[in-house]
Amino acid sequence: MKVTTPGTEGARRESIFHRLYTGTGAFDIIGKRARWYVSLGLLVLVCIGAIGFKGFNLGIDFEGGTKIQLPAVGAQGPIQTDRVQAAFQDALGHPAETVQVVGVGANQSIQIRSSSLTVPQVAAVKQALLTEVQPLDAQGRPSEQVISDSAVSGTWGGEITQQALIALAVFLVLVSIFLAFYFEKWMAVAGLIALLHDVVVTAGIYSLVGFEVTPSTVIGLLTILGFSLYDTVVVFDKVKENTRGLLSTTRRTYGEAANLAVNQTLMRSINTSVIALLPVIGLLVVGAWLLGVGVLRDLALVQLVGMIAGVVSSIFLATPLLVDFKMREPKFREHAAKVRQRRERAEAKAAGEEVPPEPKQAVAAGSSARGGRPGGKTGRPSGKRRR
Amino acid sequence: MAPPAGQFRPGRYLAFFALIVIGLYALVFFTGDGKPNPKLGIDLQGGTRVTLTARTPDGRPPTTESLNQARQIIETRVNGMGISGSEVTRDGNNLVITVPGEGGEQAKQLGQTAELNFRKVINAVPAAQPPAGTTPQAARQQGGDDKKAIDEAKALRQSTDPKVQMQALQTLNCAAEDPLRGNDDPKLPLVTCDREGQQKYLLEPVFLPGKEIANSQAQPPNPQGGHPGWAVALDFKSEGAKIWADFTSANVGQQAAFVLDTEVVSAPSVNTAMLGGNALITGQFNQQTATDLANILKYGSLPLAFDQSEAETVSATLGVASLEAGLIAGGLGLLLVAVYCLFYYRLLGILTILSLALSGGVVYGVLVLLGRWVGFTLDLAGVAGFIVAIGITADSFIVFFERLKDEIREGRTFRSAVPRAWPRARRTILSADAVSFLAAAVLYILAVGQVKGFAFTLGMSTVLDLVVVFLVTHPLVALASKNKFLSKPSVSGLGAVQRLSDRYRAARKAAATTAKEA
Repeated sequence: MKVTTPGTEGARRESIFHRLYTGTGAFDIIGKRARWYVSLGLLVLVCIGAIGFKGFNLGIDFEGGTKIQLPAVGAQGPIQTDRVQAAFQDALGHPAETVQVVGVGANQSIQIRSSSLTVPQVAAVKQALLTEVQPLDAQGRPSEQVISDSAVSGTWGGEITQQALIALAVFLVLVSIFLAFYFEKWMAVAGLIALLHDVVVTAGIYSLVGFEVTPSTVIGLLTILGFSLYDTVVVFDKVKENTRGLLSTTRRTYGEAANLAVNQTLMRSINTSVIALLPVIGLLVVGAWLLGVGVLRDLALVQLVGMIAGVVSSIFLATPLLVDFKMREPKFREHAAKVRQRRERAEAKAAGEEVPPEPKQAVAAGSSARGGRPGGKTGRPSGKRRR
Repeated sequence: MAPPAGQFRPGRYLAFFALIVIGLYALVFFTGDGKPNPKLGIDLQGGTRVTLTARTPDGRPPTTESLNQARQIIETRVNGMGISGSEVTRDGNNLVITVPGEGGEQAKQLGQTAELNFRKVINAVPAAQPPAGTTPQAARQQGGDDKKAIDEAKALRQSTDPKVQMQALQTLNCAAEDPLRGNDDPKLPLVTCDREGQQKYLLEPVFLPGKEIANSQAQPPNPQGGHPGWAVALDFKSEGAKIWADFTSANVGQQAAFVLDTEVVSAPSVNTAMLGGNALITGQFNQQTATDLANILKYGSLPLAFDQSEAETVSATLGVASLEAGLIAGGLGLLLVAVYCLFYYRLLGILTILSLALSGGVVYGVLVLLGRWVGFTLDLAGVAGFIVAIGITADSFIVFFERLKDEIREGRTFRSAVPRAWPRARRTILSADAVSFLAAAVLYILAVGQVKGFAFTLGMSTVLDLVVVFLVTHPLVALASKNKFLSKPSVSGLGAVQRLSDRYRAARKAAATTAKEA
């Protein structure tokens, strides 16, 4: 299918942004679907390979351990990590696994990670830290109360993950039912495949890059599913509308109507993603850079990765899959053949009579959204607007 | 779908929304304490949180009943710490203890099963029968009052003065809720009731702590083994075995009370000196009661053991830092969205920002009320949920605006596009929000831990988003489309699409004329 920008003679090629903004269907997404399948298929394979061979970088919640956190400023100015390590060593007789500075500015803090400690051991460490580095409280006095600690058992992360997987299963079942009722069978199948793609790709990227997996990550992954489907639902809604009454006309094939729908919702998809991602980016910046650790960072990171995967799949995977599924039905295939025949005839006629611009071609390129709906819907005549 | 016959009146919708907001904030300011502050989780205000996971011996999920029982016992102990605002909540198979502020370190030890101790019985008297059908109900009290009640009870019932002891034994009411429960001092004598409220006991200080019990199990009747009925077998650890041997040798014929969280669960008589580090308790047991007692001796009063899954103490400094970070992140997110919307949608962008701001106002009011009425606490994960929801909220507006553009592309004016675009956008918004809400609801019901807060705020935002889109955004766009200045293409940001539709029309005309000429 050739991309033609509709318009009068001497039509200038608009910028990509303009074409996106006006949603004229200038991007042939369905026609190049083999390309998307191959590249996304490769990506999924790479991700599965990474998960299988490399595994995940599991956080403290999955292994069990103790974290102790204190402000990075003490009575003698900035606290040095080696002093902290020394205090830990003095208190317990063995060093901590890691001692690192996290965050910036006023929120900067020092995080100690070690194997699981008992309550008395934590108390001993806190006491040692107080005498050794004297962390300051808000009033500028050294205080033990500014030292935070958290202990996690080795089974807790697994527990959360197990619940999350149960939630995932329930969600998938419910969503399949919803999609099947709301749309149709093939849309539900295509939507779910896109959904699985998102999960695998997000997990794979985590595995490849080696981001730390915490219970928050697992949960964040679940919320992405909601978002990913959300996007797919919007695109399919448009596809459904564009293909209503399609078989009773020979204006365009199912694939072309679907392509038009994708184009019309493309800007919306991009917009949505940008708008959904902006707060998440804000969250990530603040969580990762300002605080350095914790729930905010974990949730934001997984949302970021997952949302991008979700948008890509709703455009390049869900709709092309839908078209392929539909094309397996004879009635759509016959219809596509009819459309082709009609065009060939029209072209022959046009060639014979040498009529330069063929508006039908513009239609084929999905330029006018007038088609695809029964005539009764077009409402008022449009060419009679007074100026 | 043509516009409905009934004229759409934006003003009515906006007025209705204004009423909702006024009502909401009236509730915020004139009910409860009247302070517009949401209840913050301990990760935002500092404090201690301990998550206890129930473990059953056979690995099956624990029953709701046993979990609730455990919750009450632990709550009694938490209240004994005397820090107001502490609470124990159930979360799936977990119990979560939260103690705000400082001094919650003790909470980390409360998750151990009920405290079982052995005390020698000095005196036992039958308790007055409580009227039939009344069961003492645990009344929720503020920690501070509890502390006072406990101190009073201690003074009376843990006195070393025999006169006071006798008085306590006389006056003790076994039908009432016991403030001392789980808070008695093991080094002092104790006046207390048994579990059934049938007997009152005066007991010596603890001679053997329950943690010295290695194992205990119910034994079926065994006439050859010297017990014709059900019995409970006890094994002691080495230290306990020694103490038990010494005690039983010195006290044959006396009663040893097993005291669990200040209640006497059983007070068997010592028949012989038991030197082997184990004991057999016989009495009027059937299988059920023997098993129950064995479980109590093994686990304390719960048929469950609890593992401490997670315990954290957050300093107030870190809490404030987290809260600030969350607010900065939210502000930053909103700002970025606002700039993008303005750049892309111009006038409609302003409407988006206005809608978002109103949405935020409603969300905040609801948050305060939920904290006040159902004890919903906002934690860091919840803040993250709101921030993520900004995108979902703004998305509803975008669905609507893009629909408008579709209609205009087909050659409509801004004004005539609104009534046609809305019903279709509405359908999409509803279905997309349904999916998003479904995800949040499933997560909220099934997930455990901090994520509940995240799911809750996400789901709540989705619902409130619908309210705002229906009552604010659509009416405002409808008003703007009827206003001459506001619907100018340069203002509304719809110029490009309009020009495009004009060109199509020209092209179609041209095509039509060439066709005619032909």
